Amino acid sequence: MEIFIILGIPLLLAGISLVFKGRKISGILNCAGYLVVLFFSVCLLRQTLFSASAISFFGFICVDSLSAFFILVTALVVFAAALYSVGYIQKDIGRGAISERKAGIYYLLFNLFSCSMFFVPALNNLGMLWVGIEMTTLISAFLVGFYNKKESVEAAWKYIIICSVGIIFALLGTILFSYAFSISGLSKSLNWSDMVPVAHILDKNILKIAFIFILVGYGTKAGLAPMHTWLPDAHSQAVAPISALLSGVLLKTAIYAILRFGIITIRGVGFAYFSHLMILLGIISLVVSGGLILVQKDLKRLLAYSSIEHIGVIAIGFGLGSPLAVAGALLHVLNHALTKSFMFFGAGNIVSHYRKHNMHAIRGVVGTLPFTGAMLILGVFALTGFPPFSIFVSEMMIIIAAFTGGAYWVAGTLLLLLAVIFAAFINHFAGMLFGNIPKEPAKAGEPLSGKLAFLFLGTLITSTGAALVFIKGDWLWMVQKLFPR
Amino acid sequence: MQSIILFLILISTYLMVIAKRTPALIRAFRYQSFCLFWATLVIAIAEKQMELFVVAGLLFILKVVFIPQLLYRTIKRLNAAEDLGLFVNPQLSLLWALGFTYLSWLFASGLTGSADAKTMILAVAFFAVLAGIFLMIFRMTALAQIIGLLVMENGIFLLASMVSGGMPFFVEIAIFFDVFVSVLIMGFFVYRINKFFTHIDVNKLSRLRG
Repeated sequence: MEIFIILGIPLLLAGISLVFKGRKISGILNCAGYLVVLFFSVCLLRQTLFSASAISFFGFICVDSLSAFFILVTALVVFAAALYSVGYIQKDIGRGAISERKAGIYYLLFNLFSCSMFFVPALNNLGMLWVGIEMTTLISAFLVGFYNKKESVEAAWKYIIICSVGIIFALLGTILFSYAFSISGLSKSLNWSDMVPVAHILDKNILKIAFIFILVGYGTKAGLAPMHTWLPDAHSQAVAPISALLSGVLLKTAIYAILRFGIITIRGVGFAYFSHLMILLGIISLVVSGGLILVQKDLKRLLAYSSIEHIGVIAIGFGLGSPLAVAGALLHVLNHALTKSFMFFGAGNIVSHYRKHNMHAIRGVVGTLPFTGAMLILGVFALTGFPPFSIFVSEMMIIIAAFTGGAYWVAGTLLLLLAVIFAAFINHFAGMLFGNIPKEPAKAGEPLSGKLAFLFLGTLITSTGAALVFIKGDWLWMVQKLFPR
Repeated sequence: MQSIILFLILISTYLMVIAKRTPALIRAFRYQSFCLFWATLVIAIAEKQMELFVVAGLLFILKVVFIPQLLYRTIKRLNAAEDLGLFVNPQLSLLWALGFTYLSWLFASGLTGSADAKTMILAVAFFAVLAGIFLMIFRMTALAQIIGLLVMENGIFLLASMVSGGMPFFVEIAIFFDVFVSVLIMGFFVYRINKFFTHIDVNKLSRLRG
């Protein structure tokens, strides 16, 4: 039942935003609506974790623990983005960047976009999963090209074309999966729940090729290097709350799709194949993003490359495969979503205040935007994996799992690159946050809703990190539930 | 019958690869889609399934009539140059296409381990996908990229309809809807690009770097 409320509320809110057109009330209703969604997604996760079977309706919707976990991550970030949007859009209307009518369109697209992202984890049919993910691309393309400028139109075009091509490969992979299913003499079906029990009798060669296509296809959407080229453009040009959604949740829905097919592949052809591919792509992502983070000049592109880095860490975690590593990777999905949205909100405030993206031209943020500045100091340490924040814990879990599993090369490379990225981040942000306080622009206040969004995410980031360190008792059984391989 | 249709699909794909101007490309795309429609119709008549008739009908309306018409109209409205802007000239493109055909044959026979009718379908489908990628990479205009994407999609449709006996009906419908929406949205962005850059040469979209 909860799942229908979760899917229904965004649609309802989309309808409401048509009525209220971009007035402030529309944004406030969004916050209330997504708070309810958040509440129900917590209930959903609790219910699926402690029950033996998945919640299923007509074989079309099927929610198990893995789906519920991704729905919860989505709900958290969408709620924070809805909070942040109220102040941000109001400010954009105030300075004449967009009209009130356009703000109405923003709220409509925002709700449709989040609805499509709630749908993806709930679907059972792998073909519909593909349609759902393509829908997220199509809707968010408008939000990337929202500010009708040359740069944003270019970014939107690259985004829609590269992701569509990528995802065509995923469709090819999906069809090969169903081909493997049909030649093994079983009735035709694309339902995940039908495929998993018989995965071990499927043709191994076809599964291997099909999984490569899936990995290239959904990997493009997830931002795994070397298919990541659309990501920095789209993330840097989108409206700030949407950058947070793209980075925090959209990439994760693609990871979710890879995991679904991954589970079938692991059962069909063994774990080593899945493991090698994921670790390889993860390491490539880390190397590529690490290099580009070092030389980056644009603030929002810096954060976009950092997303590629974290997706790489997640891929390595799943590739290592021991319960500790998978737990670390799943936690990292959550932690990265929260922390990166936090940082994109900060970057959004800076960019809309200074009106520029170039980090060398932005100085003295702590002086001009005291609240954002203070929050960003916390955020930089949280994002680069400093204790006591939550990313530290999940990265630590993955690294410990790599060492105890004997993957010394992986652990060593990971540590080295994380250290390089840490240094680069501190260097970039130290110059921007401190430094001489400029005369232009003057010190300014910040809207309450933005502050609330920061506090909401900040509390979660710090408290989960601290709680995980002190937690006693064995909770690795949940991993088996979440990633049943 | 089947091999005739496959041969026609192959020919129309070759026509697209060597096309120099956008209208010729769209026309060849229309031929290819028509062959697909024909193939689906043949299967539908053979199996007497209502659902397959619906799929064939949708295919005809969407890919033979609506999308080509929309693309023709876009060219007219944009007043854009009809040249596709070739990175690789037609003769060389033909050589590439021959190479692709051989590659996809190798791949298909490797996958099925035999050389029967199924392998042929697989090979033609993979060839269409490769030709689509080729069009997207080696042609400069935004419209050519849209068509390249549609050609890839056609190849995958062929693969799905013949190899696994089609996907479940509602998935098929959802994918059609999806293709329809994505062409509309891409068309919208082509207008935007034309408005802001006064051309639709995607090779010159290079403001975002690094």
